[in-house]
Amino acid sequence: MAEAKEKLYRTHLMVCAGTGCVSNHAFEIKEALEKEIKRQGLENEVKVVTTGCNGFCERGPLLVVQPGNIFYQTLSVKDVPLLVEEHLLKGRPVKKFMYQPPEEKTPVPVLSEINFFKKQVLVALRNRGLIDPEKIEDYIARDGYKALVKALTQMTPEEIIQEITVSGLRGRGGAGFPTGLKWQLVRNSPSPNGEKYLVCNGDEGDPGAFMDRSILEADPHSVIEGMLIGAKAIGATQGFIYVRNEYPLAVKRIYIALDRARSLGLLGHDILGTGFDFDIRVVRGAGAFVCGEETALLASIEGRLGEPRPRPPYPAEKGLWGKPTCINNVETWANVPVIIDRGGKWFASIGTPTSKGTKVFSLVGKINNTGLVEVPMGITLREIIYDIGGGIPGGKKFKAVQTGGPSGGCIPAEKIDLPIDYESLTEAGSMMGSGGMVVMDEDTCMVDVARYFLSFTQDESCGKCTPCREGTKAMLDILTRITEGKGTEEDLVLLEELAQTVKEASLCGLGKTAPNPVLTTLRYFRDEYITHIRDKKCPAHVCRQLNVYTIDPQICLEKGHGCDVCRRNCASEAITGAKGESHKIDQAKCIKCGVCFDVCNFGAVRVE
Amino acid sequence: MVTVTIDGKKIQVEEGTTILQAAKKLDISIPTLCYHPLIEPYAACRVCLVEVSVRGRKDLITSCNNKVQDGMEVETASPRVLRSRRLNVEMLLARAPAAEPVQRLAREMGIDKPRFPIKDPNEKCILCGLCVRACEQVVGACAISFIDRGTERKVMPPFGEPSEACIGCTACAHFCPTGAITYEDKYGRQVIHSELYLGPSTAIRVPIRQAVPMVPFIDESACIHFKTGKCQLCVKVCDRQAVNHEMKEEEVEVEVGSIILATGFKPFDARRIPAYGYGRLPNVITALEFEHLVNASGPTGGKILLASGEEPKSVGIVHCVGSRDENYNEYCSRVCCMYSLKFAHLIKEKTEADIYDFYIDMRCFGKGYEEFYHRLLEEGTKFIRGRVSEITDLAVTKEEEGKLIIRVEDTLLGVVRRIPVDMVILATGLEPSVDHNQLAKTFNISCSQDTFFLERHPKLAPVSTFSDGIFLAGCCQAPRDIPDTVAQAGGAAAEALALADKASFSLEPVTAEIDENLCSGCQICVGLCPFTAITFDREKEISVINDALCKGCGTCVAACPSGAAQQKHFRDRQIMAEIEGLLLV
Repeated sequence: MAEAKEKLYRTHLMVCAGTGCVSNHAFEIKEALEKEIKRQGLENEVKVVTTGCNGFCERGPLLVVQPGNIFYQTLSVKDVPLLVEEHLLKGRPVKKFMYQPPEEKTPVPVLSEINFFKKQVLVALRNRGLIDPEKIEDYIARDGYKALVKALTQMTPEEIIQEITVSGLRGRGGAGFPTGLKWQLVRNSPSPNGEKYLVCNGDEGDPGAFMDRSILEADPHSVIEGMLIGAKAIGATQGFIYVRNEYPLAVKRIYIALDRARSLGLLGHDILGTGFDFDIRVVRGAGAFVCGEETALLASIEGRLGEPRPRPPYPAEKGLWGKPTCINNVETWANVPVIIDRGGKWFASIGTPTSKGTKVFSLVGKINNTGLVEVPMGITLREIIYDIGGGIPGGKKFKAVQTGGPSGGCIPAEKIDLPIDYESLTEAGSMMGSGGMVVMDEDTCMVDVARYFLSFTQDESCGKCTPCREGTKAMLDILTRITEGKGTEEDLVLLEELAQTVKEASLCGLGKTAPNPVLTTLRYFRDEYITHIRDKKCPAHVCRQLNVYTIDPQICLEKGHGCDVCRRNCASEAITGAKGESHKIDQAKCIKCGVCFDVCNFGAVRVE
Repeated sequence: MVTVTIDGKKIQVEEGTTILQAAKKLDISIPTLCYHPLIEPYAACRVCLVEVSVRGRKDLITSCNNKVQDGMEVETASPRVLRSRRLNVEMLLARAPAAEPVQRLAREMGIDKPRFPIKDPNEKCILCGLCVRACEQVVGACAISFIDRGTERKVMPPFGEPSEACIGCTACAHFCPTGAITYEDKYGRQVIHSELYLGPSTAIRVPIRQAVPMVPFIDESACIHFKTGKCQLCVKVCDRQAVNHEMKEEEVEVEVGSIILATGFKPFDARRIPAYGYGRLPNVITALEFEHLVNASGPTGGKILLASGEEPKSVGIVHCVGSRDENYNEYCSRVCCMYSLKFAHLIKEKTEADIYDFYIDMRCFGKGYEEFYHRLLEEGTKFIRGRVSEITDLAVTKEEEGKLIIRVEDTLLGVVRRIPVDMVILATGLEPSVDHNQLAKTFNISCSQDTFFLERHPKLAPVSTFSDGIFLAGCCQAPRDIPDTVAQAGGAAAEALALADKASFSLEPVTAEIDENLCSGCQICVGLCPFTAITFDREKEISVINDALCKGCGTCVAACPSGAAQQKHFRDRQIMAEIEGLLLV
């Protein structure tokens, strides 16, 4: 290991190179930092490291200075000279780049003291922001592959499975099947020629979810190590990582990680001299959401049409090419090495009686601290949204949170103290899913939310079974009608009937969960549907076809002096009035596009 | 065995039985659309849903693919099941309003009009995937699959182009429950009458209806299994497990004392006379095809129908097709006149059609035959003496339109006539069977000028051949009808038995022999012997004659350059002595 003799530096600058920060010019900042460091003659003392996603995406691009754990945020290239000079040369951390909690006066310099990070418990994301994902040495330095050594040299397959069973780890892909039990089933399934397969499901497709992507980008070796341990436990010799091709950075880093692991003898023949053989192939998904369903994913790996097949037989009995196959999600695999290293009992000590350990969520929507968080099971929604997420922007009221992506449901504000685990979320009509968490404020129309998620599932339905193919389309048609003010009360009855049938009668998880957004919004926000249908009004003014736009002549004239911007922007020429006069909207001509409302700087355009 | 309760009825079934199969045993019908017993279940239409409770949990599952479990309780018509099933059918009706099975289910459920918008009123495809699965699982061609997602999903060959993988077996269309898949013949081949009636030749068929023994065979050239290695549906459906694709032609050696050749004939191929239009004109059929048509177990149930399905108003029967014709066969096929008369009689009996019988000479050679001819004359069959020159569908007059026109010189009236008819039956003659020449070589027997096997003597040995122990019976020797064949076969059998019954067998005294001392081993005689009586002894390096086979023809004697081959009783010395004796006298 030539790189082990690398130079030592006094300071490391950990630049977040997650997709969010990269699109905010993280790489340019890295270059600027290196240039500036060189200019200041610090190149032998300070090293710039690109890490995986730090999690606090809202505040990107991010930089953490180690040692010290000083957290800088929303940097830009022009901030670099000041930062280098002050912090690195003069040793004075720069307050103006630090995180400033909205309600406090002084910024928080240390990462671990920021609320966003304080309540998080890092297991799957244990290496986030600390290692360069493209360097296996970094991973090994953080006790990486220690668990593998233990599993290969000191443990029998039964002991490994026992440890996982004790940990209470459940599938992080959504359904929450006990991982230990699954491994045991695969181990016990006879294979005609002894071949068994292992699959890592990285086909993360939920809108607004990026947990798996972040793990694969930030810490690919944790997944590989987990798979190696799993392979030993179930007796597999070949593994597959199925990853979306829309994640180019993840794909690139997996390939690098696999190459490095192979070159160090951690993958391939006779791993660590124990006589254990295992290798991993990468299969890139073509972008179909349904391929996240395990049977469809397996069909896709086999090169067949990516559509699900009925279960049983489960993949544990007949999976890839008819052989017993263990398929787990990225986050599940990433948890495995820690469990083996620190013991199942330790893992089981985190969480609730039925759901153990931690769960990674991607916190998005109407929330201050957008980002990736890992929290212990049993934490309440309130803690996530207010303590970690920093509440709703603009002081708006929290309305609901959608968990589990398009397959999940909307949990209303009154359930904000719900402790999060598999059972409680299912009870509330939603599901854990892979961990998407979309926060909605009072400006969100729940009918529109249901319509949005359904338009996604309808578009992604493979079309194999009748209820999902035809039912989701019929439901979407009804929801679209309602949001356009054309809905009737019979529509609502039919919608419920459809939702129930699609949920009960569909072939795979996609169809079985597709009506969840509709069912939960109907359960918790039925009055909104009624208002749309009876009063032809959208309380949140989101459904534009239901809005009536008017111009307050007084404001228009007094504040805007008849600026004429709305008239010039009106596509349907519905606005009349000359410059300097108050303007008027002809309701007959108005197509309710809302442009006038958006462009008016004086608040003269009103929506009802 | 596991016990399940379906709609309150208990039944014991074998493990691995699906709910659908178990319900069928109880006579409980569960509707299905994407299910086919010969194809693996797909569970896509979701019409066969049932409600099961296992360990207190109630779930809707599809009955086509889910297997019964011990103690399972199944409800096939619970309110939950009916609601889901009804909605599924309603949605399918909106998708494919023209699909007959969906219409039927909708009618049964009282759905008049779906509550969902209909995109295409002519749509038939319900996306059940039977075609795709048949192409993959049964045929093994994988020429079609689904493209697109959701409601845009459809069945297509790759890129929507005709697929090279398609073997044109039409299995997809056969498995399609709604008739959404149709196919056409792309090669411009016209459907001829015979094919219409007999159907495109299926891979498994009986040679002819009323064949004896009535055993079907697999035509390798048409069987999908021999093209792709898959299918074998026949194996699956045959309860007796009688189908075996592994069977191969094999050679069996049997030691016998005598052989009777009864290799039969093949009918003259009427396509060889293009002027008669066979294979081109749909209503021109051969005698054998008419036999199929008129047979009570035939495709039309014995009705005489045109290609269009109508009854003919006039029928022409053309004699001597391929017989008594310098261009094809000069001999008379002997049976055609009588079967033609039989046809005329049958047509008269079954239809109202006018019958024209075109003959050269009416050859009613047997007992009661002439009387039958007279009866037909009385029945009103119109006999026209003359050879038909052409059969065409090119009409000249209005009456001829849509008809087949037979052009013939009526030799009794001395005029050329054009006779329009609806159907023409060609009385095709008899020809030696396909491998006739090969057989002749194998058995070392000769053929006469008409290419049928030659008997040893037309009067004294009509069933024997020049090879001892080989006898002839039936049409391999000459065209003949069934009574004659039966009689001749009896004679051949008696001759063969007589040979087998003998304790001793007297050989011809006049055979050739080879003088061991003179034979140079040149082997000229071996190739020349017409009776394969001479073999070469490799040890002694001389030719040896088998006395039992030698007929004493003398060919070897004349050919032997060293004079080693001599004919017993006709040695050079003996012949010279005879000549000398004559000269002395």
